Amino acid sequence: MLRAAAIAERAGVPSVSIVTTPFMQQAAVVSKGVGLPSLPIAEYPGVPMTDGSDAVTRKIEALLPQIVAGLAGARDVARAAVAEPGPRDVVARGTLDEIQELYHRNLWSDGLPVIPPTVERVERFLSQTRRRPDEVIGRLLPENRAATVWSIAVNGVMAGCRPEYMPLLVAIVEAIAEPIFRVEDAGSTPGWEPLVIVSGPIARRLDLNHGQGVMRVGRQANTSLGRFVRLYLRNVAGLRIPPGAGDKGSIAGSFNVALAEDEDAAAALGWPTFGADQGFTRDDSVVTVQSVVSVSPPIYSAGTRALEHARILAEVFGGACGYWSSIGMKYARWEPLLVLGPSIARVIADDGWSKDDLRRYLHEHVTITARQAETYALQVGATSYTLEAHVKAGVLPAAYATSSDPERAVPVFVQPEKIGLLVAGDPGRNQSKGYVNNHIQGGRVSKKVATP
Amino acid sequence: MTPAEPVYDVVWPLAPSAAPAGSLAARSDDLRGKTVGELWDYLFKGEEIFPLIRKALEARYPGIRFVEFEVFGSTHGRDEKELAATLPGLLRQHGCDAVISAVGA
Repeated sequence: MLRAAAIAERAGVPSVSIVTTPFMQQAAVVSKGVGLPSLPIAEYPGVPMTDGSDAVTRKIEALLPQIVAGLAGARDVARAAVAEPGPRDVVARGTLDEIQELYHRNLWSDGLPVIPPTVERVERFLSQTRRRPDEVIGRLLPENRAATVWSIAVNGVMAGCRPEYMPLLVAIVEAIAEPIFRVEDAGSTPGWEPLVIVSGPIARRLDLNHGQGVMRVGRQANTSLGRFVRLYLRNVAGLRIPPGAGDKGSIAGSFNVALAEDEDAAAALGWPTFGADQGFTRDDSVVTVQSVVSVSPPIYSAGTRALEHARILAEVFGGACGYWSSIGMKYARWEPLLVLGPSIARVIADDGWSKDDLRRYLHEHVTITARQAETYALQVGATSYTLEAHVKAGVLPAAYATSSDPERAVPVFVQPEKIGLLVAGDPGRNQSKGYVNNHIQGGRVSKKVATP
Repeated sequence: MTPAEPVYDVVWPLAPSAAPAGSLAARSDDLRGKTVGELWDYLFKGEEIFPLIRKALEARYPGIRFVEFEVFGSTHGRDEKELAATLPGLLRQHGCDAVISAVGA
């Protein structure tokens, strides 16, 4: 919203933006990031979604002087440029405890101890890539900092990565810098978290866990890669929870450890690997990043036929996705991920089902009512949203407005081909788990890892 | 004797700012007769808020007119990138002298 105002200002059209009080700190970060720290703002006190019509009317009347001042009187406020350290500048010297304290105080850490990023340690990481330290991979909003290879190495050191992870770290940042990932929205209120999925030979070479306990903190590569992403978002994208700003995740969640697929198990089924589903070969080392906003319960399914498992997966994974599917429908691009336990994938494949067969089954058998979809979206803040209007606008297919009956069933999964399927977890148990992504925010992006 | 505790010379974990330089557009001191565009992210009751603003400003500033939010489409979500490419042209096309962008951050 502020970015739209900034576009107008740069086109020579004055703006004022209405921002609610709880978002004022976020607004300051965004305004600075777009290069217009004086963007005029009219502050709406409180939370519109819990205000009745009378309160909204009263507050807008009170807001008018700020709106008028923004449009007709606002002027740039001169701000002195603040000099920032260069990449090799030593910003402090201290003991381990002193360094921890400094990084905590400056909001440069995630609350856990960090490995002190000395020039020597950073250079060890840089030796693992052919990229120049000053090469800019992309610009990361909202703080709008240049994602340099140097900064990737620094945060990789801090997160406890090994130097040999550096090519993966670069690929991760290449992915999150892609416009379709929308890192600028990684601080939105749903509090989504990136999930890194590592495919191909590099997963084995770096000892990533793909088996029992795959999503648990505890294996160095999985854990430190996940931690790196959160640190990098804090330090370079500027997404910090209070006492910082920029990350407005209302409750949010912790970082995800990186996920790897049991590719031998997938290949033994005759199924394409997750990496192949993203358009790569099994010989390619690939990083995929997508958002995760919530996780399903553990999904236990039993039986010797595909349908027995598919029914349970549809109920539990579909149920976990149901509430948030309203937002998936609003933007019509949604990429939930289902991690299938190897034993379950085996039964499904042995029954002759392909991954697309399972996707199709989920698409056809998981529904909610139109009333639920519109009601859920309304709670989030989509106060004028209807499925019918979205069908008319060409955003959703006709299946979402076959009648005006609010109790009509509509598919939870808008595009079945976008359901991610991956084989991982405990081969000795019959458990799967689903990961719900945050609609268009954190869209799935894959990057080939360039090894030195 | 206790060995000296190691000390570390550490570097900055942030990265260079890429924020572009910029300044606010020049403002008129008077909104009378001006055209105001409504930019909405289609969230948080904008459909209630914009009509209230319209009514109040029309009462204060004779000749003020509004280009309503439907003309521009949502500034949030799937249309945002496209809007960034098309918004300056739309503002020119509709003769907007100013915009109100709402609601949120």
